[in-house]
Amino acid sequence: MPLLTADRVAAALRRGDGFRMDVDLPPRFTPGDRVRARNIHPLGHTRLPRYARGRTGVIDRDHGVFVFADASGAGLGKIPQHVYSVRFAARELWGPEASARDSIYIDLWDDHLDPA
Amino acid sequence: MNGAHDLGGMHGLGPIDPEPDEPVFHAAWERRVFALNLAMGAWGQWSIDMGRYAREQMPPAEYLATSYYEHWLFGLERLVVEHGFLTREEIEARVAALRCRS
Repeated sequence: MPLLTADRVAAALRRGDGFRMDVDLPPRFTPGDRVRARNIHPLGHTRLPRYARGRTGVIDRDHGVFVFADASGAGLGKIPQHVYSVRFAARELWGPEASARDSIYIDLWDDHLDPA
Repeated sequence: MNGAHDLGGMHGLGPIDPEPDEPVFHAAWERRVFALNLAMGAWGQWSIDMGRYAREQMPPAEYLATSYYEHWLFGLERLVVEHGFLTREEIEARVAALRCRS
């Protein structure tokens, strides 16, 4: 393990950690696709909020390829996956009392989604 | 994990009440806890997501009753113990020594 001396801290912080990955990976979904968020309850870190699990949304845009945070949180390194902005109707998430005009956009990875 | 951090849709927590001109830190210890997290993160022994996971593992009742930088301190203590920088006993001994001094 390299010693982190005071004179190296500033450079280490500037370098930071990269999350966007320059990997040529075919997306599983394209904008307009209907998707269902997986009903998963992992013991580890996940970016899929409970209120969206099992709910149906639409791919709004493909952000590109990023480190899959769920795997990274488990110490599995930088696994590349597409991240999409997925639009969920407020009524799909919160029921008939929610506004018919409102939507929630959630950034989700390939492994959070299945075709609907 | 299905922890207290995943608050979306939970009722009864009251309104979000942003402070006007909110400072980045509300106390000197918060600044120090954040700096310690960045400095230890620079060792490269854990990813930012492992840092998030460490904070998520605070017991739910404690998580809801403590502040943002207390979560950061909890997570950092977990990570430095898991990665062999310190033992839990060393942390407890230091806390006890500081408590005696104050």
